[in-house]
Amino acid sequence: MKTTILNGALPGDNFTDGVAQILAEQQAARGGQVRTWTLRDEKVAYCLGCFECWTKSPGICRIDDTGRAIAASIIAGDLVVYLTPVTFGGYSSALKKAVDRSICLVSPFFTQIDGEVHHQPRYRRYPALLGIGVLPAPQPAQERIFSTLVGRNALNLYARSQRSVIVYRSQPAAEIAKALRSALPASDERIAA
Amino acid sequence: MRSPKTALILVGSAKPAGQSTSEVLGRYLGQQLQARGLSVATMHVARALRTPERTAALLRAVDSADLFILAFPLYVDALPYLAVEALERLAAHRQVMPAPAPTTFLAIANCGFPEAHHNQTALEICEQFAAAAAMTWAGGLALGAGGAVHGQPLAAENGMTRHVARALDLTAAALAAGEAAPAEAVSLMAQPLIPQRMYLVMGEIGWRIQALRNGVLHRLRARPLANHAQ
Repeated sequence: MKTTILNGALPGDNFTDGVAQILAEQQAARGGQVRTWTLRDEKVAYCLGCFECWTKSPGICRIDDTGRAIAASIIAGDLVVYLTPVTFGGYSSALKKAVDRSICLVSPFFTQIDGEVHHQPRYRRYPALLGIGVLPAPQPAQERIFSTLVGRNALNLYARSQRSVIVYRSQPAAEIAKALRSALPASDERIAA
Repeated sequence: MRSPKTALILVGSAKPAGQSTSEVLGRYLGQQLQARGLSVATMHVARALRTPERTAALLRAVDSADLFILAFPLYVDALPYLAVEALERLAAHRQVMPAPAPTTFLAIANCGFPEAHHNQTALEICEQFAAAAAMTWAGGLALGAGGAVHGQPLAAENGMTRHVARALDLTAAALAAGEAAPAEAVSLMAQPLIPQRMYLVMGEIGWRIQALRNGVLHRLRARPLANHAQ
């Protein structure tokens, strides 16, 4: 299984970096390939909302920076992990910047899924999506929003399987490792669109 | 909520000034607030975060505003990066203040999908921000088919955006009176601008025209990263 980890930890967040490390080690121990992007250290410009990745250079962002490589890494993987400190229930700015640049992975054309309008897929296969949110302590409202957001992202990215899990900064490493293991999808969870 | 005297409108779109639906919505609401006696300032998040000095100016502007209004486009089911970063900085700034100013926060989201409810998660994120930043939540307005506005001014009297203008009129009246956005405004804003089928057809024609102009009509469904995909 090829796993792409998008680590949205902000500067100084050693805890979230540690979660990325645990996850990478777990996936490697299962015989998988892991690519971790520590997004705060990468040169990624923000999405300009120009839609040139749909209408001028279809499938490729006009901005030639690491954002392109991250999008390629997402579509190349069997599993993409959005790892982030939960920020008002959503993703950190570091993760959101990379996620915004992933719209080149779908088509501008519309379709309907369960009566709701979405974009059509661009590729035949997409990775599974695992969202991992980090919180200082339980916050039910933010946890519900985070879970919903991961689910909505999975729907729009054509991820056949999706899960989300919350880990707390007060949890011991062994507990976190257990939570991550149980959240990881089986190796064959990948979509053929 | 007390009646506000000042308002700051932050345009959360990355598009250049004058080109975004977010700015159209924010500016219209600002005009309605001005008509009710408020002093209104407008900032663009892309400019405001460009340098530490401008970011500090944004924080000061929010501190001195009774009303803080964020108008943003939906990117991948949530607020765009620039808006997230602005909210992160604002919350961090206010969390270390002994007594942050009693600011009221309202959010206006718009998305390219015809259904306004795609914006729901983003508005819930905004509500959580309000709590984290010790602001009073005045509610969120969600607009679908935002692409149909296309940077054009809202028409209050007729045309497809009249109920959007009406929603913002009602919101301005409520905010000026120290109240949250009324349910009627939320409902009006979420009404379809045009029939869904027409919007989808127009959208698809629009993508094809742009692609044709760019000489890539035959490549609209290209899979340039297919070598990476298994």
